[in-house]
Amino acid sequence: MSHAVLVVEDDADIRQALLEIITEHGFQAVGVVHGGEALEFLSRATELPCVILLDLMMPVMDGAAFRQAQIQDPRLATIPVVVLSAYRDLERQADGLDAVSVLKKPPSVRELVKVIEAHC
Amino acid sequence: MTSPPQPQIARATEGPQGSAFRSVDERFRALVSSVKEYAIFMLDPSGQIETWNAGAERIKGYTADEIIGEHMSRFYTPEDLARGLPAELLATAVREGRVENEGWRVRKDGSRFWADVVITALVGPEGRVLGFAKVTRDLTDRLRAQQEQLRLAHAEEAIRLRDEFLSIAAHELRTPLSAVHLQLQSLLERPEGLDERARTKVERACRSNERLVALVETLLDVSRISTGAFTLNATSFDLTAAVQEVVERFGEQAVRAGSEVTVRSPGPLVGTWDRLRVEQVVVNLLANSLKYAAGTPVELELHGDPDGVELTVSDAGPGIPASESERIFHRFERAAPMRHFGGLGLGLYVARQIVEAHGGEIHLTPLRARGAQFVIRLPWRLTPPESAR
Repeated sequence: MSHAVLVVEDDADIRQALLEIITEHGFQAVGVVHGGEALEFLSRATELPCVILLDLMMPVMDGAAFRQAQIQDPRLATIPVVVLSAYRDLERQADGLDAVSVLKKPPSVRELVKVIEAHC
Repeated sequence: MTSPPQPQIARATEGPQGSAFRSVDERFRALVSSVKEYAIFMLDPSGQIETWNAGAERIKGYTADEIIGEHMSRFYTPEDLARGLPAELLATAVREGRVENEGWRVRKDGSRFWADVVITALVGPEGRVLGFAKVTRDLTDRLRAQQEQLRLAHAEEAIRLRDEFLSIAAHELRTPLSAVHLQLQSLLERPEGLDERARTKVERACRSNERLVALVETLLDVSRISTGAFTLNATSFDLTAAVQEVVERFGEQAVRAGSEVTVRSPGPLVGTWDRLRVEQVVVNLLANSLKYAAGTPVELELHGDPDGVELTVSDAGPGIPASESERIFHRFERAAPMRHFGGLGLGLYVARQIVEAHGGEIHLTPLRARGAQFVIRLPWRLTPPESAR
């Protein structure tokens, strides 16, 4: 696995801010807009990311559907996933996704960096 | 001398016990005449009133003496008279045998009632119209009930639309606010640091943004409550520690308000509740005290008993009049005038919804000499009220 973080987030401003924060703290980062793009990126990637930051509510393919597809693919199943959950109520939805961590949106930069450091 | 034979009708009026016992015809006439729910009367071929019953008197307000001989158009509104409705109804009854019509009619006192009218043409053996039978029902109450139902449905729809708008607006606002929060935070956390002036400004912007996020969260909570999407996530935790943590988070705000905040507790109070939601209640009450009772000490006191825990939040501010003690828990309400204090007036409403969803209760201590005091009771284990199960 590489030191790259895959950011799956549909909002361009949030995605951009996350990518900047991650790279400013010395990690590589790639951003995609939804679960479908994430699967496509992963299928072509020669080096897999060390962690995936996953938004839940996204168009085309949401976080839960992506996670299901990821778990079914033995090549991708072991990549740890950190769920970014916008709302308190979504935390329970995140429970079933077997994420290594659930961060409330917007996460604090410190907790974000801490969780990335733990896996990359 | 034998008495002449009694006419049949007269004979029939004397029953074996001497009670009134008239012919079928007469009894039928008596029945019609005494019916109160319907105005039943006869018209001559020109539409002039020939008979009158109790129901007609009750519904239209005229006695038989006042109305017999008058034209039935007397009961119609000026608008219906202008378009010739009475003549049109009679013509239709002649042509088709009967006609039914619903509409406003006028009583003797000028008031209007919503009537269902059936006019039946009475036709003789040679096909000549002998007159009309008219039956009128007063459906005003039914109409009013229908209108009330419609108004209620419109009001409910308006509330639903408002809640939907609230929910969409809050969701839409939240995403860019998150982006702003991340950008500001990343400025503060830059590994190479910020100069002091810039840091102060960014910190201020961060605080304002956090306030906006909190307001939007509250709006989302309200829309969740009103759409029934409000759910609790129970975990086991120490309430004393949670309250202390909230108070620590408010450290800076308390200093700015000039209030000393103290927590008194006998020790850990571990129960099963939704931690984020219970913290939210403490946040809302503490924020209220720091806002409305700035400059006075704020005290949070906890204790447990076999039934549950009690948290009391007291300040020494202006207090809340007893007359307001219930209203302040309603949506968009506050005890202080809006122009003096900002905010949406939702904090206590949300707090009560959370506490009650836990099976607990929250109230304002009545008749306090000074300041406001809120008391929250929670059972040791979240027990949703019947209605929420």
